[in-house]
Amino acid sequence: MSGRQLKRKTTIKQSGDESDKIANSSYVTIINNSESKPVSTDVLGRNEFYQVIEIIKKLNLMDTIHDLIIKNVEKYVCNTVVVECWMCITGSNSEAENFQNFHKAMVTLYNYYLLLLSALLSQLPLDYKKSVRHFYEVGLKYEENRGTESSDELCSNCGSNSNCICAQYFYEANSILLELGLLEPLASQILTTTIYDYIENHVETTCKDRFDVSFLTPLQKWLEDVIIKWLRKIYTCDYSNKEISKFNKKLINFMYEIYTKVRINQLFGIIIEYPDSISALQDLKTCLSKTDLRPYLTRKLQKSMETRLLHTGVSTPDILTAYVATIRSMRVLDPSGLLLGTITQPIHQYLRSRDDTVRCVVSSLTEEGPSDLADELIKGEALQTDENTPSDDEEINWENWLPDPVDADPNKPLANNRRTSDIISMLVNVYGSRELFVNEYRTLLADRLLTSLTCDTEREIRYLELLKLRFGDAQLHYCEVMLKDIVDSKRITQNIKHDLSSSGENDIPISSMILSAQFWPAFKEEKCELHPNVDEQMKKYTACFETLKGNRTLYWKKHLGLVDLDIELPDRTMNLYSVTPIHATIILHFQDKSQWHLDELSRIMQVPPTVLRRKIGFWESQYLITQVSPDIFQLVEISAKGNLNVLREIIVEDESESAMASTQDQREEELQTFWSYVTGMLMNLDSLPLERIHQVLKMFAFQGPTTECSLQELKHFLDRKVREHQLVYSNGYYKLPKS
Amino acid sequence: MKVIIKNWTGVATWKWIANDDNCGICRMPFDGCCPDCKLPGDDCPLVWGECSHCFHMHCIMKWLQSQQVNQQCPMCRQEWKFNNK
Ligand SMILES: [Zn+2]
Ligand SMILES: [Zn+2]
Ligand SMILES: [Zn+2]
Repeated sequence: MSGRQLKRKTTIKQSGDESDKIANSSYVTIINNSESKPVSTDVLGRNEFYQVIEIIKKLNLMDTIHDLIIKNVEKYVCNTVVVECWMCITGSNSEAENFQNFHKAMVTLYNYYLLLLSALLSQLPLDYKKSVRHFYEVGLKYEENRGTESSDELCSNCGSNSNCICAQYFYEANSILLELGLLEPLASQILTTTIYDYIENHVETTCKDRFDVSFLTPLQKWLEDVIIKWLRKIYTCDYSNKEISKFNKKLINFMYEIYTKVRINQLFGIIIEYPDSISALQDLKTCLSKTDLRPYLTRKLQKSMETRLLHTGVSTPDILTAYVATIRSMRVLDPSGLLLGTITQPIHQYLRSRDDTVRCVVSSLTEEGPSDLADELIKGEALQTDENTPSDDEEINWENWLPDPVDADPNKPLANNRRTSDIISMLVNVYGSRELFVNEYRTLLADRLLTSLTCDTEREIRYLELLKLRFGDAQLHYCEVMLKDIVDSKRITQNIKHDLSSSGENDIPISSMILSAQFWPAFKEEKCELHPNVDEQMKKYTACFETLKGNRTLYWKKHLGLVDLDIELPDRTMNLYSVTPIHATIILHFQDKSQWHLDELSRIMQVPPTVLRRKIGFWESQYLITQVSPDIFQLVEISAKGNLNVLREIIVEDESESAMASTQDQREEELQTFWSYVTGMLMNLDSLPLERIHQVLKMFAFQGPTTECSLQELKHFLDRKVREHQLVYSNGYYKLPKS
Repeated sequence: MKVIIKNWTGVATWKWIANDDNCGICRMPFDGCCPDCKLPGDDCPLVWGECSHCFHMHCIMKWLQSQQVNQQCPMCRQEWKFNNK
């Protein structure tokens, strides 16, 4: 017996009774199938056979019997099989006969081989796949850990330490399979799935949560160093190099596909982490060109956008940030711009449905400090000013030109998508209207200019120049005039102040912001009469203006402006900055008279009592005024708090209200004009459905300067009236409530 | 208590003192500017004729240039004379 055969015997012994049984029955099968019968169940009978085996077991004669059987099998092979085989060849005379006999000998031999093989395969245990799989998994793990694992670590399979021989066993068993020609029928399919699963698992664990590293090369190297090397060992010389490299290619493709899928599933996170995740994006770009997963990407990404971004739980600035990151990421991923178009379309749709989008865009455009959109704006400037030298990342130069992806829809003009890599233009196009954007910007600018004297006009002008490059001069012309107004006002105020102080009439120093009304957005109109002293100074100021600029005069918006004042009290001095004119006027009146009835002050200042009470609240919070009895307010000169001589610097941040009527307010006003039509209609016709109301309004109300109102908008408006109990809605009909 | 106003910055809009809101030639508001101008006020002033009609200066200049024969006010057809009041 050869050494290997010996070893196999020991293995069988180790594994005990179970394998003995298998061995026995196999032998019996072989013997049964041949004609001669040294031991036969036919002779003994089934029960007797097992009884004999029991006795043998009891007498501990297993090994002896086993050896005996093997010897018998060997003898059978020698005496019967071999003889039968070679008999065919010997004793023939003619050459033709010789030829035929040799063929016969081989067929006989092959039949025995088939007998053995089919007997073996026909009795495969059901779960053989599981153990084969486990066997190869262990083998693969060994290959991977070879060298990397320190030698004193315990073997995960047998639990022993350095002198574990599992690896040796693995290769030995594998080469037996190979030599017996059993590798292919028994293991090859299982081997393939094992490898695929192993690769999948490896890829997933390797690139989990790491977007900042490119994994393509490391993964390929791993595939070559671990998997391919291992495969070569398993198939040794059986497979030609050509076949291995064919399999190799298959595995690389598979790995690409897995990696692509993993990255696609991570794509939302990758986008959010842009630009730290550029490596992941570039990997994905390479992968997309090698795989067929674009549609999968589109589907997956749109889904995660829906569940993670486009819902009410996410604030508009966050959506915008993600949106900008998406655009930038898609540019890396697909320079053709096709993906960008498909992916951003739902975001556009969603942003359009949010009220505060324009405002958020505009404010992040003009905000101080770093902001994605502001960066884009500045980048746009670079693009415009050096048109002849293409900027490195925006221009697609001809050497890198790529054809449109195959999934490009020929009906859609691509040029549009391709070239609108400019984020700001894209955002504006969301609305299809530059005007809306510019109007919002104008309102914000007006607010900033009027509510902060420290507004950096130079900075605003710089910004305006940038915006003009995007939106065109015409659109932003109004804003230019606004900024010029502010700059001019400073000069005019200096002039007038000089004139006033030289004539000695300067007890209340007045400055002004003189606006060209035609160019500013609509103001919130509020009535407020100022203190006579202030009013008088303003009149003087106006007179100076009239002489300075012939034929022009000033109309003061008295409720607007900012006042800096000191309040000297017996026990303290307060310095206040940027108080509103209403607040200042109130305290000036209290200087004249220490106690006021709310109605009286309301009459003098022409401010409604409810508003006035709220405004007095500010002085109450400063412990300067207190309500002594209902609607009677009293000046408190000595603070009950007793913090004497404390110099208090107070910068007033009044309920930061916009000085401008918001675009929504303006729209509201327009809609309000329809309301009288609607009530009139319903009074005459009792009840009407939405469409009918819309039709009638179309005929009568949507004429003149008022813009048209969509069915949807009208519905919103009417539904609000229902909520406010000014309308009743039932069965699709609106009607007036019974009073 | 003594209130000392250190600075009072008011907000005002300026307006031409004219007997009409819009220019009779270009129909644009006086407080805006003529179609050729970008900036209102100093850069696009108003002028008055002796007939008391007033226009954007640029508008009446253009008008007068287009009138080869008689220099008339486009509103009242009287002879146009600048009123340097
Ligand atoms: Zn004009
Ligand atoms: Zn002009
Ligand atoms: Zn005239």
